[in-house]
Amino acid sequence: MSSFVNRRTNVKIAVGALVCEESILKGDITIGPNTIIHPKASIIAEAGPIIIGEGNIIEEMATIANRLPVDAPEPTTIPVQIIGSYNVFETDCTCEAFKVGDCNILESKAYVGREVELTSGCIIGASCSLTESDTIPEDTIIYGNECQRREMHGKPYPPISQIEFLLKILPTYHHIRKPNIVPTKNEGGL
Amino acid sequence: MSYLNQPDYVCYVCNCGSLKPISKIYFCRHCSKIRCGYCVCQEVDSHYCPNCMENLPSSEVRLKKNKCSNCFKCPCCFQTLSTRAGHVPLRVVPADGEDSKDVKTTPKKVYYLSCSLCRWTSRDAGIPDQSMATGGWPEQENPHTSRINTLIDYHKILASIEKQQSERKKFRPKHPYMQIIYLFSFQAMFRITSAMVRKHIGHPAKPTNESTDQPSPAVASTEVEELPTDIFTEPVEITKITTLEQRLQQPDVQTENVNELRPQHRQLLVRRSQRCRVCEHNLCKPDFCSQSAKFKIQLAAFYHVPEVRIVTCEPLRPGKSSELLLKFCNPTQHQTQVVLLPLDTPMTPILTLVDEKEEVKQDNAQQGSESPNLLPSIVRQVPVVEETKSIKITANADVVLPQNCLILPRRDDAAEYDDTGDTHNFQDDPKFVIWRKGNKAVIKLHVIPHENLEENNNQPVVIGFVMQYRYVNTITTLEHKAPQKLDLKVKLYLTIGNIVGSA
Repeated sequence: MSSFVNRRTNVKIAVGALVCEESILKGDITIGPNTIIHPKASIIAEAGPIIIGEGNIIEEMATIANRLPVDAPEPTTIPVQIIGSYNVFETDCTCEAFKVGDCNILESKAYVGREVELTSGCIIGASCSLTESDTIPEDTIIYGNECQRREMHGKPYPPISQIEFLLKILPTYHHIRKPNIVPTKNEGGL
Repeated sequence: MSYLNQPDYVCYVCNCGSLKPISKIYFCRHCSKIRCGYCVCQEVDSHYCPNCMENLPSSEVRLKKNKCSNCFKCPCCFQTLSTRAGHVPLRVVPADGEDSKDVKTTPKKVYYLSCSLCRWTSRDAGIPDQSMATGGWPEQENPHTSRINTLIDYHKILASIEKQQSERKKFRPKHPYMQIIYLFSFQAMFRITSAMVRKHIGHPAKPTNESTDQPSPAVASTEVEELPTDIFTEPVEITKITTLEQRLQQPDVQTENVNELRPQHRQLLVRRSQRCRVCEHNLCKPDFCSQSAKFKIQLAAFYHVPEVRIVTCEPLRPGKSSELLLKFCNPTQHQTQVVLLPLDTPMTPILTLVDEKEEVKQDNAQQGSESPNLLPSIVRQVPVVEETKSIKITANADVVLPQNCLILPRRDDAAEYDDTGDTHNFQDDPKFVIWRKGNKAVIKLHVIPHENLEENNNQPVVIGFVMQYRYVNTITTLEHKAPQKLDLKVKLYLTIGNIVGSA
């Protein structure tokens, strides 16, 4: 499609975000300030743009993909995947949800399918997978091998201290992609 | 590992008649017989907490109702809860009149319980945070405590009455056949008294006149509370209702709502030792220390009985002969010889290479008689002699068994690292022994499945034979000073595969 155009032109990184060079970014991606993308994390905007908000942590091997099912008909509008703020995508989780709110945690090996909407404060436990069309209510935790659900007492705290630590430590060991947009306008689903 | 994950292809028949893989059977060196988990005495050695690994004496365990006083498990997902430190939550806003700065200057560390799997915290349940890490967590009150206590008291009275009655018939044996058994052992008196001693330890004697205050009996009621009317109209919120499993983990309260769940004390586990019922020797005794995974005594069969593994088997067709390769492994420090015999061979062990014939007699006499008195009878359980179970499996294929025997050298751990090759010179029939290395050998057998087997009825092909092996018993007893050589027999059933195609 735009293979001869420099791929990086499609990736908009806000000032303050930390995107490692070794991360895999494809397509039209907007990354908000203070968001940290570890090396080997992949963000694949196949079907449409992906907008990632503020203060998210996307760990190694985590996949955020805006892709349509193989047998889906061509959509009339371009689907946009919006990810809110202060979400944590732990190692090797996959998120295809078209809408993710704030303060969600996807633990290791969790899978969230396309038709799922994560509101806010949800925790998808390790190795839990959500494939059917659903809206996860606020403060829900899904845990265990039977994907049991429970309503939590409060939202998980935003991982502020972890973000601060990573902002300090990651640039000392990895090459970082340069931010290319100044957050003058309210970019990235803030 | 393969023994833990795979189905049991090679099964040994225990003396009690159950079929077990070699990893699950014991070998009693004193009776020279195979024992399994069903035909040994299981004894509780020690209680310990699986989380903090603390050993507890059994008297304390009874007081604490088999639960650890320090460790908790999550009421939601039953994992161990961990104590987490936090500061006073921000929700605690100082009273209106006070200056908020005063509170900030004295940050207090508080502790709460949290589950790392499902993120349940004691704050979810509304349990106040503690200022000490070690706890002082509020105990959950059992609503039926008073009723349970009256029932326990009443049963103590009943027990004391029973004790008095048994004291009265102290020297009167209950059954005539018991009398005969007791004639042969000197334990008759000890056994009855031991039962009394046990009761004596458990409960102090109580005067019998208390038996009059019988607790009010439970009354069955036919009337059930009406369901609330909104049960049909309100939508069910599945995230707020406890699961059946969660309820049963708290049998005294059985809460219905998730927010009423309380952390439960972690249940203790026990270490067991196994004892042969016939000779009352220990077959397996774990180390007393709960951190250690070692054994003081471990008479597992895979240290004493040759291990049989299936190497390969040709596709099986009804009525046609197929090659079956079996690997034999000698785990002992002595050379052994293995002879394969048909299933209908008598199973009595043959004692060989013993000089005097008297010893044979003594040995037989000892095996048949009552056990030697090894322990004070208080500790001992009265052995329960079970009928030998009938073997449920039937062989549905014939095996062509070789006439010659297979000699397996002793196990040599150093030989595994020896590259020079094997120096043994056994006169093996190359048609029978295919491969040989160290204490292992692979033999070739021919299997002919029965004609009536069909491919599609999913019936596995089972063969059976009796393995006779030479066992050197190094245990010295009063009667035999020199190591004994015995020819022992064990029945084996092998599930070798399914029928492929028709004849």
